[in-house]
Order: sequence, then C-alpha cells, then structure tokens
Amino acid sequence: MSQTVFVPARARLCRARVLSTIRLSSRYFLLRIVRPDEMPASAPGQFVHVAVPPGGRFFLRRPLSIHNCDDNALELLIVEAGEGTRRMRRLASGDSLDFYGPLGGAFPRSVTRVLAIGGGVGLAPLYYYGRRNAGGFRGTYRLLYGARTRDDLFLEHVPLEAQGVGLATDDGSYGFAGNVVSLAAAELDRDEADVLFSCGPTVMMRAVQRLADERGLAHYASLENRMACALGACRACVVPVRGARGREFRTVCHDGPVFDGSVLDWDGLPVP
Amino acid sequence: MTTPPDISVTTGPVTFANPVFLASGICGYAGEYAPLVDISLLGGVVTKTITMRPRSGNQPPRVHELPFGLLNSIGLENIGLDAYVADKLPALRDMEVSVIVSVAAETRDEFERLADAFAGCDGYLGIELNLSCPNVEDRALDLGRNPSFVESITHIVKVRIPDRVLWVKVTPNVTDIGEVAAAAEAGGADAISAINTVVGMDFDLNTGKPVFAKGGAGYSGPGILPIALRKVWECAQAVSIPVVGIGGISSVSDARKMFLAGASAVQVGTALYVEPGLPQNIIAALAEHPGWMRARVAGEPSEDNR
Repeated sequence: MSQTVFVPARARLCRARVLSTIRLSSRYFLLRIVRPDEMPASAPGQFVHVAVPPGGRFFLRRPLSIHNCDDNALELLIVEAGEGTRRMRRLASGDSLDFYGPLGGAFPRSVTRVLAIGGGVGLAPLYYYGRRNAGGFRGTYRLLYGARTRDDLFLEHVPLEAQGVGLATDDGSYGFAGNVVSLAAAELDRDEADVLFSCGPTVMMRAVQRLADERGLAHYASLENRMACALGACRACVVPVRGARGREFRTVCHDGPVFDGSVLDWDGLPVP
Repeated sequence: MTTPPDISVTTGPVTFANPVFLASGICGYAGEYAPLVDISLLGGVVTKTITMRPRSGNQPPRVHELPFGLLNSIGLENIGLDAYVADKLPALRDMEVSVIVSVAAETRDEFERLADAFAGCDGYLGIELNLSCPNVEDRALDLGRNPSFVESITHIVKVRIPDRVLWVKVTPNVTDIGEVAAAAEAGGADAISAINTVVGMDFDLNTGKPVFAKGGAGYSGPGILPIALRKVWECAQAVSIPVVGIGGISSVSDARKMFLAGASAVQVGTALYVEPGLPQNIIAALAEHPGWMRARVAGEPSEDNR
C-alpha cells in the first residue's frame, strides 16, 4: 500500500436540481444538473458520485465522469445499464439530485500534442477536456470517438463532427469503418502526437497502450471500477499497478481514475 | 440556555460523547471522509482492521452490489502494525477524533504482540477485536466461532491494555452468538460489537462462475438489518456489558430499533456510502429523544419509546 500522506479529495456533498435529461440514443442520455454553488471547481477526468433516485432495490451511488461543467450546469453522460441508471433516466426537470464531488485526479494539463481516444461512455472526460481546451477538438488536442454503431454517435444531439471530433463505428455505419484505435494509428501517421489519452472499454485502452508502446508515446488512461466510498477509504475499487515496491494496488477513485498506462498491470484490470 | 441532553455512553473505562460510531472498514484511517463528514462530532471512529504484517488484500473485484446491500471481499488490506503506529496513529492524535483501533490476528502469539505494541502507544481510546471477518482464511473465522478461543484472546488483550476500552466484534455466522458474546465478557471485554458482515455469495450468469474468486464474501447493508437486530438481541440477553449494534443501519429509525434490541451504541457502515450525513442525523435525533437510548425492550416497551 502507498505510504505517502493521504490528501483527502476537494469535494463537497451537493444537493442539486435537475435541469433536464436528454436522450441521445437508445442507450445513452445526458443528465443536465444546475451547478450547485457549493461544488468546488472541477477538472477534466474527475467524476461525481451520484445518488440513485430512491425507491429501487439498488442504492449505492454511481460514479459518473463529468462530461461538461460550467458556471451554470453540470452534464453527465450516462449509459442506461441497469436499475440505477434507469431511475436516473426518468428524472425530470426540477427533481432533486444528490451527489458528492468532484472526485479523483484529472488528465494532465501541461501536455503538448494530445491524441485522445474515447469509446462508449468513456467519451465524457475527453469531451470535457476539449471543451476546456482553448483549441477545442482540433490542433493540439484531437479527439477520436468510437462506438459500436451510428446510433451511439449522438449525431442528432451533440455536434461532435462539427466540433472536429473524428468518428468511428465498429459496424461501419458511419465515419471510419472499424476500431477507433485503428483510426488513431492512421491519425498518428497523418500528424504526430506526443501523448495519448484514452477512456473507454478496457480492451480499447489496452490497444491504445500497445499503440503508445509501438510509437514511443506516453499514455494516460482513465479507468472505471465498481466503487463504494469513492474517497479512497474502503479500497474496493483497486487496480494492480507496478509500483516502486513491486506490484501494488491503487484506488481508481482517489489514486486514479487517470493512470499512466505504462505502470498499469493490464492483465489484472477489470473487463470490460 | 438549556444544557444539551446527555447522550453519552460508557463502556469500561471510557465515556464517549454520544453513541454513534463509524464501523471498521468504512473510514480507512480516518482522514478520507473529512470533506463530507465532521468525524470529530461522532462518538468515535473504528479504524480499518490492522494486522501484524501488511496485507495487500484480495484480487479485484472486491465489491458487488446486491439488492438492498453489498457483497464485499476486500481481504483486510492494511498497512500493517509498524506503519500504522509510525504514520497513522500520530496523525489521528492531531485530529479531534475518538479512535477505536480494530485489530485482527490468527494466533495467540500475534494477538499478544499486537496488544503489547498498542499498550505502548497513545492517541486512541480502545481496541475492537475483529474475530469475525469472513474475508480471511477460514481458520481465523473458525477461531472466532470458538468460545474458549474468544475468551482467551480477549483476556490476553485486556490484561495488556487495561485502561482502554476493549470491544469484541463477533461474527453472526455462528449457531449461538450469545455463547460467543458471553465468552468475550468472561475474558474481560468492555462491550460486544455485533455484528460483522454475513457470509454470502453471488454468481455471474454470463460466466457461470462465482462473482468473487474466493466464493464467499461479506453481505452488508439494509438487507442484513433484521439479522443484526436479532443477533444484537441475543447478545444483549447473554451478557451484562454493553452491546454496540452494527449491521444495516440506514436511517434514524433503524438506529432506534437497535436500541430497542438492546444496543447501547451503534455503528454505521455501508449506509455511509449512500448518506454521509446519517451518523450526524442519528446523533441529532438522539439529542432530541434521549429516551430512545434507554428504550431497550426487556418485556414491556418503556414509556420513553415514543
């Protein structure tokens, strides 16, 4: 276990009001929340731990990456995967919502040319990074987004392509036909980068690590994991890393969620 | 100005300002919840269980959500006695937190060494013996089910650290919890902590395999409240020392039921993940209704229990 001094998260328990839920596709929706005054400033890569609306059988908070946040609104990109997220999808404007955050570490800011690769709901922190980046999604911060099929690209709701995001679909129904990591390799051939960011299914991020190793690039991956406290206390969400003292466990919620891909023990990560 | 009601609780040589504690495992070493909870307002905090040697804990996955609860298989990951005494205990002294240190071991010899080490430290108010975690080797759990082992270990620790509290945390995974509790009392325990998690299991229908590599895991959360209430009741019948009620408390009402079952204090665990404000809500409710703390049902419900 890490023996360094524990620095608690700069987080607050916030009670907020829902602005709206916007259905993006058959499985994805955007939850827009009034940004509470008491919520500390957040950085791309961080997440919030959101209470499930009451009445169901499952009640643990869900850790949800911040998709966008400004003075007025906090946006969360959510895939409807079970009872908890289903109850969130049914929230209406004016409903109250309880969360704590922001939590976790952010993607590094002092980087030069970044190629970011997002898959599925992993788009969220990478999209937020681009929104906070002066150049948007072109130039020194390029974002590629891969989904299974056209429906999951939210084309009618989020102007990803117009904003310069490169799109890929596994089934070829839109954009680059094939794996988003293949698109990334082609992008690097066209125009180099210094560092890769990734967030998405473990198998995708693992492929990005291989690409980073091939090209001699740094790689920062944002992981997810089942969480309980989300504060670094309970040690439920650990992943194995190769630390100074050999193989160690680090928490995704507090030591992560962003990790240097070269220290992760990829074989030991949860899949997907 | 009226004086606030007395909701203190005394176990052995120590009096705590109020009867609401954080359970072991929730708050690793006490600092993590600082952004959300003012833990100095609680009766106290029971730390993550410490063992002689550092433990890296179980391979992930370590938690699995269930209806009305959570299965955990953390595996007693902890930094070990030496690092705890050198790094964590001094830091806790600086915070105004009442600390109960949870300890676990597998042999008599290890318990003696742990007790000797803590006897030489300050900054904590007592020890909670963890004889009940489902997520360590079966042998340790079997010993926690053995009344004469429980009595013997309790005695070993109590004689070495006589001026601090000694709580013995018992497992619900036994036939007669009262017998184990009585053995702890005979060994010199100041209070019984009941219960630890309930052994459970789940299967992944995609793989056809158990969710956890080790198979069994500990079930906690609102689903175990009925079991915890019953076990607290049985312990309270069996001993005359206080019982600290733990297991599934997710609301002020649940805490109130624990007192009815015979608890003199309560610990909040899993519910903290959902509602960080719960411990303080329970304290506030008790301050308004201090009679709830004395409302133990031993025949007729008391007048105060309204």
